[in-house]
Formats: sequence, structure tokens, C-alpha cells
Amino acid sequence: MSAYGEFETIMCEERFLVEGLTTLGYRPEVNSQGAALFGYHGDERRETAHVIIRRSQLDSASNDIGFARGADGRYRAVLSEYDRSIGYDDRWIGKVQQQYKERQTMAVAKSKGYIFRGKETVQTPSGPQVRLQFVAR
Amino acid sequence: MQQKTITVVIEPDGSSSVDLSGFAGQGCEKTLKEFQGTDQPKHLRRKSEFYGAARQDTDRRMQNKS
Repeated sequence: MSAYGEFETIMCEERFLVEGLTTLGYRPEVNSQGAALFGYHGDERRETAHVIIRRSQLDSASNDIGFARGADGRYRAVLSEYDRSIGYDDRWIGKVQQQYKERQTMAVAKSKGYIFRGKETVQTPSGPQVRLQFVAR
Repeated sequence: MQQKTITVVIEPDGSSSVDLSGFAGQGCEKTLKEFQGTDQPKHLRRKSEFYGAARQDTDRRMQNKS
């Protein structure tokens, strides 16, 4: 039997999110209980998040960017309108999800004993596409 | 025997696809589930090889019975 499936990436595992953000050049802060996000004036915002990129790592007028874990275990980005307008938008979230998925896939393959055959990055009009190949033992 | 290959393509928007080739039997479902993980399926289909493999299995079972 052979099959094909298309999936929407659901970010549920903290370590892959943190690794993915780190690969993108950020130093995410992790708080298992959730911590407050701060605005660009240093004001504490009402939103909290479990994985946070502090504004000092972003644009000078940025607010903190957070990823809050919901009751369903899923991490969702907490972004201000301003930050969305300067490039931390759905396309940026896609990059984060792409990094997350790559790490998750590699971890699954390793834990289940699949043999990694290679990675290829293909440039497409909407950005880099990552292809990972494995074989079963 | 055909090699069992798994190709995972991760798009710039973070969505992904998993393409399995050379698999036969229930191992295919299991492998697809493993690579799906907690992701939400958007589209799933069995490739023509599945039906070929399934038909071969049926033929084999019928031959064994006769």
C-alpha cells in the first residue's frame, strides 16, 4: 500500500517550537506557566504566552511576540497589529511552522527507526520548500 | 522487492505533505500516522500501488485456498 497525505501543521511540542525559533535567529524565553508580554514602551500587556521572543530581539518599535499554549495543547502566535504590519505576519508564522515541522519530522523519523536519505531545499515563488526523504528498514 | 520510501515536503506556509511509496499492507497506514503526528489532515488518498498491492494480496489468499 502506498499513500499520500497533506497536512496542516499543528504546533503542540514546545521543544520543536523553541528549536525552530532558535534556528531563525531568536533566543526564545520559555515559561511553563505563561508570562506577560510587554509592549514597545515597556508596558505590561494583558496577553501572556509560554514561549516568548522579547522585543529587544525585534524591531525597535516592536512588542514582545509570544506563542501561547491553549487548552488543546496547541501553540498559537500572539502578535500585535503593528508587528504584523512590519513583517511578523502569516508568512512569518509559516516560516516558524516550517522550522517546527522539519524538526518534528526528523525527530519522528529517528525515534521510529527510519533512515534519513537527505534534505533538499527548493526555491519557490512563495519561499523555500523543504524536502526530506527517508527509507524504511 | 521495492524500497519503501517516505518523502516529506514542507511548504513555506508550514503545511506539509507525506508521500509513501513501496509500502504494502497495514504498515502504510501506520507510517502515514507516524509522520502526520498531531497535524490536521487536509487531504488523504491511497495511491494506485495500494490497490495493486491489495489485489495481489487477495489473489495470493485465493491461490492459497484453492
